[in-house]
Amino acid sequence: MSEQKTWKQRGYYLLLWIVALIFFAPVFWIFLAAFKTAGDLISPEFKFFFTPTLDNIRNIFQTPNFWSYFGMSFILSIGAVLIALVVSFLAAYSFSRYKPTGTNFIMFLLLSVRMVPASAVVVPVFLMYSAVGALKTLPGMLLFYAMFCIPFSLWILKGFLDGVSLRFDETALVNGGSRMHVITKVVLPQVKPGLVAAAIFNLIFVWNEFLFNYILGGNGSTMIPVLLATGVKQGGMTDWSFIASLSFIYVLPPIIMIYIFQKYLLVGMTFGTVRGEV
Amino acid sequence: MTASQPVLRFRDIHKTYGRTEVLRGVDLAIQPGDFMVMYGSPAAGKSVLMRILMGLEKADSGSIQLRGEDVTNAPAADRSIGYVPQSFALYPHISVRDNIGYPLQLAGLSGPEAMPIIERSAEMLRITEHLDKRPDQLSGGQKQRVAIARGIAKQSDLYVLDDPLAGLDFKLREQLVEDLRTLKSETRATFLYTTSDIVEAMTLADTLAVLDRGAVVESGNPAGMYDAPANVRTMALVGFPPANFLLGSVSILNGQTVLETPLFESAVELTMPIDGQVVVGIRPEKVRVSSGAHKGEGFSLPARILLREDLGGEEIVYLQTGGQTLTSVDRHTLGHNDVSDVIVHIHPSDLALFDPRGGARVGRGSDRGQARHG
Repeated sequence: MSEQKTWKQRGYYLLLWIVALIFFAPVFWIFLAAFKTAGDLISPEFKFFFTPTLDNIRNIFQTPNFWSYFGMSFILSIGAVLIALVVSFLAAYSFSRYKPTGTNFIMFLLLSVRMVPASAVVVPVFLMYSAVGALKTLPGMLLFYAMFCIPFSLWILKGFLDGVSLRFDETALVNGGSRMHVITKVVLPQVKPGLVAAAIFNLIFVWNEFLFNYILGGNGSTMIPVLLATGVKQGGMTDWSFIASLSFIYVLPPIIMIYIFQKYLLVGMTFGTVRGEV
Repeated sequence: MTASQPVLRFRDIHKTYGRTEVLRGVDLAIQPGDFMVMYGSPAAGKSVLMRILMGLEKADSGSIQLRGEDVTNAPAADRSIGYVPQSFALYPHISVRDNIGYPLQLAGLSGPEAMPIIERSAEMLRITEHLDKRPDQLSGGQKQRVAIARGIAKQSDLYVLDDPLAGLDFKLREQLVEDLRTLKSETRATFLYTTSDIVEAMTLADTLAVLDRGAVVESGNPAGMYDAPANVRTMALVGFPPANFLLGSVSILNGQTVLETPLFESAVELTMPIDGQVVVGIRPEKVRVSSGAHKGEGFSLPARILLREDLGGEEIVYLQTGGQTLTSVDRHTLGHNDVSDVIVHIHPSDLALFDPRGGARVGRGSDRGQARHG
C-alpha cells in the first residue's frame, strides 16, 4: 500500500518536473542563445552543445543608449515603487483604521484600473498626459507607474494592516504617542513583509512594462523593453542574438531578486491574507 | 485638586452602539490613593467605560473630571494615566525591556533615566530574567506581567488595569493577584481595576464598585457591601455562590409590617415605605442545613438535597423546599453521609428586602418569624 503510494508520489513529482521544465524552456532558450554565435543560433537544428561566445553580451554593452535605458529601468522601477509604497501604506492605514464609508467599493475602484487591458487604458492616459504636457517626461512616466503600482500595493498592505491589532495603536496613543508615531514606529515595523511583497510585485511589473513606456515615454524616460522591441531588426532581419543577450542581461536583476525574496510572493498573491513563514 | 477632591469622577456617562445602550448614566468618584475595583459581568460595560476614560472612545454624553479638570474631550495622550489594556498588546518587534520602557521613551526619558524604572517594574512583576527576550518567547502569564509592568512603568498618579487577568488559568491568576496586592502596598498611586471575577474583586478592592447593565449600582467597602447590600443587583452579583432570592409581599397587619413568602412569614423592619411585592435575598451561608432537629432561632423547613458540590473546606448544597430552590454553603455539618432529607434553618434577621422595581434595599427581617411548612 505504502509502496504504491510512493510510486504515485514519484509520478506526481515527475509530472511537476516536466511541467516546470516546459515553463522554463523559453528562458533556457534565451540563456543558451545569449552565448551562441549567430550561425549556431539560426541553425535549423537546435544545438545543445556549442562553443560559447561573449561577443553578443559585449555588443549589447556597446549598443547606443543601452546604459541610459538600463539606468532608466532602475530609476523608474525603484522610484515608482517607492512613491507607490509611501502613498499606499498611508492610504492602507487610513482604510484599515478609519474605515471610511464605502471602503470596499473604493478599494475595488482603485484596483479596477488593473483589470482593464492596458491597451484600452493607454489611449485615455495618452490624452490626459498630452493635455497636461506630461508626455515624454521623466516625472510623468514616474508618476504614471507609481499610480499603476498603488492599487495592488494598497490591497496587499491593507491585508497586512488589518492583521495588526488596533490595541497596538491605542497603547501608543495613551502613552503620549502622536498618530505619526503610531504609523511609523508601531505599525510600519510590523508590516515590513507586506511592504517587501508589494515592492517585489510592482518592481517586476514596472521593470517589464513596455506599452505605456513606448506610448507615453520619450528620450529621457525609455526603458529596456522598448529597446528590446525597437532594436530587434538589423538589415531587415530579426536580430535573435540581440534579443537573446539583451533579455539575458535584463532578466538577471529580477531573477536574483525573486530568488532572494520568493517567500514574499505568496503573501503578495494573496493580498496579505496568507502569511506563512513571512 | 484638593486633598478631599476625587482624583477621578465620572458624571452621567452614556454610550450607545447602534441600538445597544452600553452605558446608562455612570456616576462614580475615586479618591486619591484608593484601589478601586470595578466589578461586573463580562458585558456590563467596564471596558467601554475604561476606553472612554483613556480617551480611546467618546462618550455620547456625560463628563469626566481628572485631577480636578474636565478631560471629557481631551486627547488620550494628555490624560497621563498608566494603562494596562485587556489584551496584552505587547509590540512583537521589540524586546520586553523596550516594551516596558515604551511609555518612558515616549515621555522623553533617556536610556539611563529609564533603566532603573524599567528594572524596578520588572522586579516587582518578577520578570527580570526575561527583559532581553521578545514577547513571542514568553508564556501567557509572563506576557500579562510584562503588560502590567509597562502600565506601571509610566510615571503617573493613576493606573487603570482593564481586566488584566482575563483568560489566564486559575494558578496564574492567583499568582498575579498576589503580585498586584504587593504592588498596591508598594505604591501610593490610585488604582482603578476592572474584573468580572468576584473573588479577584473582593481580594483586591479597597473600594468596590458594581457595574451592572451599564450603570454603577453601588460602590463602597467590599465587606460592607457584602454584608449589607444597598441594591438587589449588588447582592446578586457580589458573592460566591450567588445569593438566594424569593418573591414575597409586604403588608401591614395589626399595625405590624409582615412579609409573606412561599416558605415563611416574618415580621420585617422597613427602611423605606413599600406596600406590595418585594424581593427577599438570603446569603447562601445564612441558609444552614442539618440532618437533625432545629437548632437555634429562626425558620426550620424540611428540604430535599438536589446536589452537593464538595469544595474541600466547605460544600455547596443545592436544596429544594416548598417548591423553591435554595443554595447553601455548608462547612461539612452534614458529614459525608448520604442524606437526602434535611432541615433548612434561616434566621429572619438574615433576610434582606429589596424593591423589585428599582432594586433598592427597603428593609430587613426582624427577629421574629415562622415557617409556612414544617
